[in-house]
Amino acid sequence: MISELFDFFGSLHPLVVHLPIGFIILTLLVNIIIKKKNNSVRRLITLGWFFSFISGAIAALFGWFLGDNNYYFESQIDIHKWTGFAFVGLTFFIWILRTINFNAPSSVNRFFNFTILILILITGHYGGEMTHGEGYLINSLPFVKQNKIQTVLLTDKYDSLDSIYIYEDLIYPILKEKCIACHNKNNSYGGLDISTFENLVKGGNNGHGIQKGNPYKSSIFKRVSLSQNQPKFMPPSGIPMSFDQVAVLKWWIDNGAKLRTPLTKLRNDNSIRTLVEVNYNLDLKEKSYIEKLRLDPVSENKLKILSKEKYRWRFLNSEKSLLEIKFIAKKITSDDINLLQTLKGNITWLNLSNCELKDEMLSTLSELPNLTRLRIQKNNLTDRGVPFLKNIKNLRELNIYGTQITDASFNIFSQMKNLEKIFLWNSKVSALGIEKFKTQNSTIEIISGL
Amino acid sequence: MNCNHDLDNKNYSRRDFLTKTSLGLGALSLGSLISPVDAYGNSNFLNLLESEKKRLPHFIPKAKRVIYLFQSGAPSQLDLFDYKPKLNEMFGQEVPESIIGDQRLTGMSSGQNTFPMAGSLFNFKQYGGSGAWMSELMPYTSKIVDELCFIKSMHTDAINHDPAMTMIQTGSELPGRPSIGSWLSYGLGTDNKNLPEFVVLITKGKSGQPIYSRLWGNGFLPSKHQGVQFRSGKDAVLYLDNPPGVNSSIRQEQLSSLQKLQEINHADIGDPEILTKISNYEMAYRMQTSVPEVMNISDEPDYIFDLYGEDSKNPGTFAANCLLARKLAEKDVKFIQLYHRGWDQHGNLPRDIRKQTKETDQATAALIQDLKQRGLLEDTLVIWGGEFGRTNYSQGMLKLDNYGRDHHPRCFTVFMAGAGIKKGVTLGATDEFGYNITERPVHVHDFQATLMHLLGVDHKKLTFKFQGRRYRLTDVHGNVVKEVLS
Repeated sequence: MISELFDFFGSLHPLVVHLPIGFIILTLLVNIIIKKKNNSVRRLITLGWFFSFISGAIAALFGWFLGDNNYYFESQIDIHKWTGFAFVGLTFFIWILRTINFNAPSSVNRFFNFTILILILITGHYGGEMTHGEGYLINSLPFVKQNKIQTVLLTDKYDSLDSIYIYEDLIYPILKEKCIACHNKNNSYGGLDISTFENLVKGGNNGHGIQKGNPYKSSIFKRVSLSQNQPKFMPPSGIPMSFDQVAVLKWWIDNGAKLRTPLTKLRNDNSIRTLVEVNYNLDLKEKSYIEKLRLDPVSENKLKILSKEKYRWRFLNSEKSLLEIKFIAKKITSDDINLLQTLKGNITWLNLSNCELKDEMLSTLSELPNLTRLRIQKNNLTDRGVPFLKNIKNLRELNIYGTQITDASFNIFSQMKNLEKIFLWNSKVSALGIEKFKTQNSTIEIISGL
Repeated sequence: MNCNHDLDNKNYSRRDFLTKTSLGLGALSLGSLISPVDAYGNSNFLNLLESEKKRLPHFIPKAKRVIYLFQSGAPSQLDLFDYKPKLNEMFGQEVPESIIGDQRLTGMSSGQNTFPMAGSLFNFKQYGGSGAWMSELMPYTSKIVDELCFIKSMHTDAINHDPAMTMIQTGSELPGRPSIGSWLSYGLGTDNKNLPEFVVLITKGKSGQPIYSRLWGNGFLPSKHQGVQFRSGKDAVLYLDNPPGVNSSIRQEQLSSLQKLQEINHADIGDPEILTKISNYEMAYRMQTSVPEVMNISDEPDYIFDLYGEDSKNPGTFAANCLLARKLAEKDVKFIQLYHRGWDQHGNLPRDIRKQTKETDQATAALIQDLKQRGLLEDTLVIWGGEFGRTNYSQGMLKLDNYGRDHHPRCFTVFMAGAGIKKGVTLGATDEFGYNITERPVHVHDFQATLMHLLGVDHKKLTFKFQGRRYRLTDVHGNVVKEVLS
């Protein structure tokens, strides 16, 4: 009964604290503004100090009740509490001095006034931090950088997804931030030390930290996923682990809790994949060959050799290193095609269709190491030219429809190990040849028309 | 309170006047001095896009061009793709209140006393290895479902044709924004300088909801990015031919003199629209030869006409336009937009939709197959869809063999095929009454963001500053639908 009453008064604290603030400001203002102080003004000021003291004392008492119900940490309250008491003490002292008509020199009075102002500012600020959260005062300022809740990957590994490990890069940084203060080598509460992977798996006094494959038997997972009202919920103070962090932890334990599970393993599990992609601002999609390719940008000067009447080119990426080139004039010559040599590493897509391309001209193309798409359809090409293509080692797509090539070329195609698609409509290959090729090379798709 | 301060201020002196006005005018002039915007409101300094544009494409594109087969009037998803046996089971019964709730209906059917559910009269079957549901109305398209990606959970904001079409074409219900094709022309430039980047083909002789040229308008972008309509018949592009008695060399001489004059004018006043004008004249001159060449279908073999259907020999039909679209794609036109009207079936839907699908089905499938065999489907995105869907209840009297369907923006189906799109998949789902979305809603802005993504454009980065703020196709919305990307 009594403790509930105390709690009630405690909850009045945030209301009552505003009274001494108002009184003290009014008193100080009267003190400053009214220059000629007759007796009644002096009495008014004394009364002001009295009200400040008495309301401050009540506020402090209520504050004591509030602090006593364990809602706040001792460390949070400390400064607020002691500056509050100092405020009450000082106002009482000043009021007594004034009632006994002790005439202090005005410099001392000014010092008291200043001190009381500082005290009320500090007390008020730390009180505010408790009700509104840390940093409430400056967080809304426009030039203060907001701390986004989004978890930031602690590594600069965005470019190579394969080198991101789930434990090392996603889980350990969180444990380090939230748990390691109480669970380390020197300071292992509950017998748990998570500073090394082995000790994390071993766990503390309450059994396995991590039971591989079984999150519900892993105390680490159990403790962070409990209801936050439970006394066993971890971490006991500060910001709990977010939903996506807990989900990643669970997925990792479910999938064997290995020290080095690469992040790319998440790829096949759509629910967790989306979560991770959004929270870490990643794209887990498997990158194609050219997406992984890192080349130096092509200078505009180098491109000047391609005449605008004959070639049209375009960069395929913002780094300006991958080139798509199309021949646009009616007839290509050996000289034209030899120009491509200077750009050979950068040409990824090349279109030489319908421009009277000859078999022997194809020999130049074998020196394009990063060519992935080649379109040489609608030319008078024969089986004699196809062997030149064999050495384009990264060719994925070959469009060679509308040419004279026959089944004899299949032998070459089957030797091109990165090839994925061949367009053979309107050529001289036979349906039987295609069937035979398909049974031998299941990874290559043949598009041969309707 | 007395508002006539000037009467009170009898002592307002010449000195006061000069002090106050000079400060005011000074502030005004300072404002314009430090502003990087020129007299036409253009700004190379502020316009971030100048630097952003140099970075295009933002990532390696999957698609180089788009063929958008726009089905104007909103085809009924419930009679074509979205199979709802529940509606047949409950044929004629009221739509459950829990389904419609207090959602708004159009003024055309909101006054109805009864909302009887109309199950489709057409038979549905699963097709292909992917098992996509299709009705009997599209037999040709049914054969190629394994090439297609259906989004059954599209939704839009607008409930009537004009705003909905404007929305899906420009990203806003209000007229005045650039069309998708204009944005792409602006962002990615041309791949064939002899043809416009953005070409529009409209099926002739159709009635129904009107189609306005602002749907392919450039909005606030420079006008050279507007779509160019190619008409069927003799004059594909109006006023392109030389006037009688003027031959090509005279024409060229004339244009180059004109260009000199215009350049002097531009150096003088700097209006960027003058440059646009110059480039338009140049483009028109080049199109004098390139357009007749691309419009000429006489050297197409017979089996190609057979593929697209009998209509394809008749210029101006949807089939002929599809064939033309393929030819334009071969010529690297970036955005080819077809419009086919007549899908707005408020009444007599079963009769009218048969007619519509007969006109469009074969050519749609043929276009995709033809692009595929030429290897063009590798870098061409084909889209088929309308501006919204149609209701599951009948507008007007429901009969056993006849019904109509009202506008329904809450769900509709589009399908895509080609570059960068997964094959043979269906994304999203509607409830068993075909009224609300139950799975993976895709808003029009998400659809647009995905389209841009496929072309290598980050929809958040392609912006244009106009009237004091930067605009983009998706404005402040849109998320790329990653699930459909291959």
